[in-house]
Amino acid sequence: MASRLWKEGASHVVLITLVLIITFPVIYALIVSTLTYQQAYEFPPRLIPGTELWPNVLEAWERINMGRVFFVTGVVSAGTAVVKIVLSLMAAFAYTHFKFRGRALLFPLTMITQMLPLPVRILPTFEMMASFHWINTYSALTFPFFASTTGILLFRQFYMTVPRDLSDAARVDGAGPLRYFIQILIPLSRTNIAALFVIEFIFMWSQYLWPLIVTTTADMRMMQIGIKMLIATDQIAPAWNVIMAGTIVAMLPPLLVLMLFRKSFAEGIAMQSQK
Amino acid sequence: MLINIRRWLMIGLALILGACLMPEVALAKKIEITLWHAMSGSNGKVVDAIVKDFNATHPDFELKALYTGSYEETMTKYIAAYRSRTAPSLVQVYEVGTQQMLSSGAVIPVHEIPGMVGESWDWAQYVIPITNYYSTDGKLWSMPFNSSTTMLYYNKDLYAKAGLDPNKPPKTWAELEEHGKKLISSGAVPHVLSFGWPDWQLEQTFAAHDQLFANNENGRKGLATKVLINGEFGTMVLTTWARLAKEGIFIYGGPEYAANAAFQAGQIAMLMQSTSSLAGIEKGSPFKVGTTFLPRFEGYPSGNSVIGGASLWVTKGQSKDELRAVWAFLKYLGRPEVAVQWHKGTGYFPSVNSAVQTLLDEGWFSKDQNYLTAFLQILSGRRDTAAATGVRMGPFVQIREFERTAIEKSVSGQLTPKAALDEAARKADQLLSDFAKLQR
Amino acid sequence: MADNIEEERFPGHPLLPYILILPSVAVIVVFLVVPFLQSVIGSFFRSTAFGTKTVYVGLDNYTRLLTASDYHNSAIATLLFAGFVMVVGLAVSLAIAHLLNQKIRGLGFYQVAFIWTYAISPAVAGAIWALMFAPSTGIVPFIVAALSGGYLLNWMTNGPLALLVVSIAATWNMLGYNIVFFLAGLQNIPEEFIDSARVDGAGPWRTFWDITFPMLSPTTTFLLFVNMIYAFFQVFGLIDIMTHGGPGDATNILIYKLYRDAFLYLDSGAASAQSIIVFVVISMAAVVQLRFATRRAIYAR
Repeated sequence: MASRLWKEGASHVVLITLVLIITFPVIYALIVSTLTYQQAYEFPPRLIPGTELWPNVLEAWERINMGRVFFVTGVVSAGTAVVKIVLSLMAAFAYTHFKFRGRALLFPLTMITQMLPLPVRILPTFEMMASFHWINTYSALTFPFFASTTGILLFRQFYMTVPRDLSDAARVDGAGPLRYFIQILIPLSRTNIAALFVIEFIFMWSQYLWPLIVTTTADMRMMQIGIKMLIATDQIAPAWNVIMAGTIVAMLPPLLVLMLFRKSFAEGIAMQSQK
Repeated sequence: MLINIRRWLMIGLALILGACLMPEVALAKKIEITLWHAMSGSNGKVVDAIVKDFNATHPDFELKALYTGSYEETMTKYIAAYRSRTAPSLVQVYEVGTQQMLSSGAVIPVHEIPGMVGESWDWAQYVIPITNYYSTDGKLWSMPFNSSTTMLYYNKDLYAKAGLDPNKPPKTWAELEEHGKKLISSGAVPHVLSFGWPDWQLEQTFAAHDQLFANNENGRKGLATKVLINGEFGTMVLTTWARLAKEGIFIYGGPEYAANAAFQAGQIAMLMQSTSSLAGIEKGSPFKVGTTFLPRFEGYPSGNSVIGGASLWVTKGQSKDELRAVWAFLKYLGRPEVAVQWHKGTGYFPSVNSAVQTLLDEGWFSKDQNYLTAFLQILSGRRDTAAATGVRMGPFVQIREFERTAIEKSVSGQLTPKAALDEAARKADQLLSDFAKLQR
Repeated sequence: MADNIEEERFPGHPLLPYILILPSVAVIVVFLVVPFLQSVIGSFFRSTAFGTKTVYVGLDNYTRLLTASDYHNSAIATLLFAGFVMVVGLAVSLAIAHLLNQKIRGLGFYQVAFIWTYAISPAVAGAIWALMFAPSTGIVPFIVAALSGGYLLNWMTNGPLALLVVSIAATWNMLGYNIVFFLAGLQNIPEEFIDSARVDGAGPWRTFWDITFPMLSPTTTFLLFVNMIYAFFQVFGLIDIMTHGGPGDATNILIYKLYRDAFLYLDSGAASAQSIIVFVVISMAAVVQLRFATRRAIYAR
């Protein structure tokens, strides 16, 4: 019994240490975000938190107009996530509940998205945006992302485990496929939808390369490019205190989404692992 | 009855149409033009202030200035916009993009514009070394906007600490080496000198000694097809720097402004860096900052330091009205008070002689001698040779990478200077010949 | 429990499936397939920056790339970088997940504590690690100097070091994600298998290698692929913020080199050729992953 407690205690010690080591960079970032410009350059590096967190956050906020950046990034991230989910639900439903000509061809086509990440087609897609006059628009930031392999795979896998009896019962009740889809299948997919929302939201929030080339004006700037702008100072040593304040703030929305839907996220992943 | 309804319909439509057209006729619309630029932070604020004043004093025109990212990003976006016919009226392009712009077919040379809007203009009012950079055959293609050059910054306090005269900085590389040894042996600093923009410093060294960097008169008489960096002069320069690195005097500080932090922290005593860093360095350094001309290699001819920074280019295909607005803005920039405002706010050179005169008259340069150093350097150097004016190459941006790699490899001892330069020259030559072939 | 999709569940709706997949297919064709094909075609041409002139050069872009030392350097850097992220990342995450996979109190707390770093974007991770490794003033160089008696850790002038630093930063970035998936995979392994191995007298190490690891292979192959995609592509923000591909091309991984050639050097032909080469590499990896996953999964049964 005692050895069991020792073992558990040892596990805790190890785990806590690991947590601290892994979280240290962010803790350090938080500390630096509370310092002044000079304090951030103290030598030896200072580990005692300061009192400048709020002024630094304000400074970062103002420098890159974070209010607007939050809005744009929020709209793009949440909006794209929702559209992706809807499109994936529809496609997965079609692939699993219907026999139609070309299904054998079209499904692999969907999988191709995995092999065509942005960099493989970046120049032509960029030029397409320019010719559509979509540079600096929400359209450019969102449309190219609307198709999601992850989503389609996730829902397809899930739908394949839904027993026929369900759809049979619905049909007997006189419900058409769409009624069945909207009123039965989708509510059933709640967990997966939430999990996918987390994944897609964080994915869109973290976008860097695409917004970098497709937006030029400050008012369509996305969060990660905002961070880049914070760091790109003109000809002086970087103001780490303000930069770190900015990164802390930038982390918050995806963190919030992750925490809000934590359970569904974990469940969704568990479901995916149970092939 | 029917005829009546139709009549009323026609009257109604006419009224509506009239109402729509009226505002067009009643209000004279402002002529709108746009400027894309890469000035961020405090420099960007000065741009905004100048644009605001321009709009206030020119009620017929509305100039919108947009910060579009770094120089590279601005260039890329401009090209995409030009190809989709949504290019801005004016764009700020860095000096290394000059040949690309000249070959683009997308711009109107600035010297043609006064004629196009029925005016005449005195081009002699601009500072000659600056306009030389952006001219071909004596004709100006883009309007100089933010020009800088490079100079030698040094830490006066460390000089005193090492027992050297803080008002006698080195004039030659030989002197620099001497001072460097003294600084190290006195324990004042572990390393002495670093570069900002090491690639640019290499080009500066060539120009300062009137050495051609590329063929065809530095790419100014025709497209450059070969670089000349791996000759005797280039090898000598890199050999010197490699030797200084071995002695611990020179320490490679990374690209662009990476070396500034070390200088400001007092870890090195000297920094060859852009004049545009002056304000930042003075503000961020707790010691007395001195500046002087770039050190010379004795026994070589005298040239000049090269203009860096960027200029404004005018897009083709604009209406006569838009051109009038563009020209009004370019003229506005040439007003002495505006040029002075720009210089004081950013540290970039004023491009018109009248502004320089104003600054001298009000004693601006005597308040802080450091601002005068760089200016004196370019005004006192040669302005008549292609070598002293600076090199012009299409794939300049990429070639700078090769220069940097050559410097890094020589300084770290990975390759001999000659081998490093040969490698860079080989790669550069291929790009230059590609570029020239495409232009035919 | 794969369902039999042989019989129509809702007969009499011939058009509906097409309507349902239309948006996805449309997006894929317009924004993915078409630009990809344009990339393919573009890789056989060379044009001026402004597009004023375009010449057909056949395979020249490819031969130039494949014989350029810069490209070799980029490929090697990418391999080292991706290899580090994949191997070290998965090894560390698996170890931590294994530790988490016990009946201890506060499991929920630990799960949160390890997963939340998933919310950190590569760019933010880059900013934080750049701060920690800042040459003259950062905390890590300070510690290293203190411990080693003055060695100056300067990743801005030390290529291999820079590559190591970005590798560590990237691996750190993916830890949360990997741990969550490994934990789920581990928790899916039926207790009976572990217990029966114990009963047979196998020690923990053997149990792990003979039972646990093979049963994890679907998760492992999945994570290998995801980490590979991350290391090849999503890490762009991290590189751009930390090193811009430097010093001297040390961290100029394939995606960064592609970006530079496309958007800084305005060489669309070379960029397109690089795009296609990357596509080939990733496709091969995807195919391998698919084959391996299905094969192993069958064996695991």
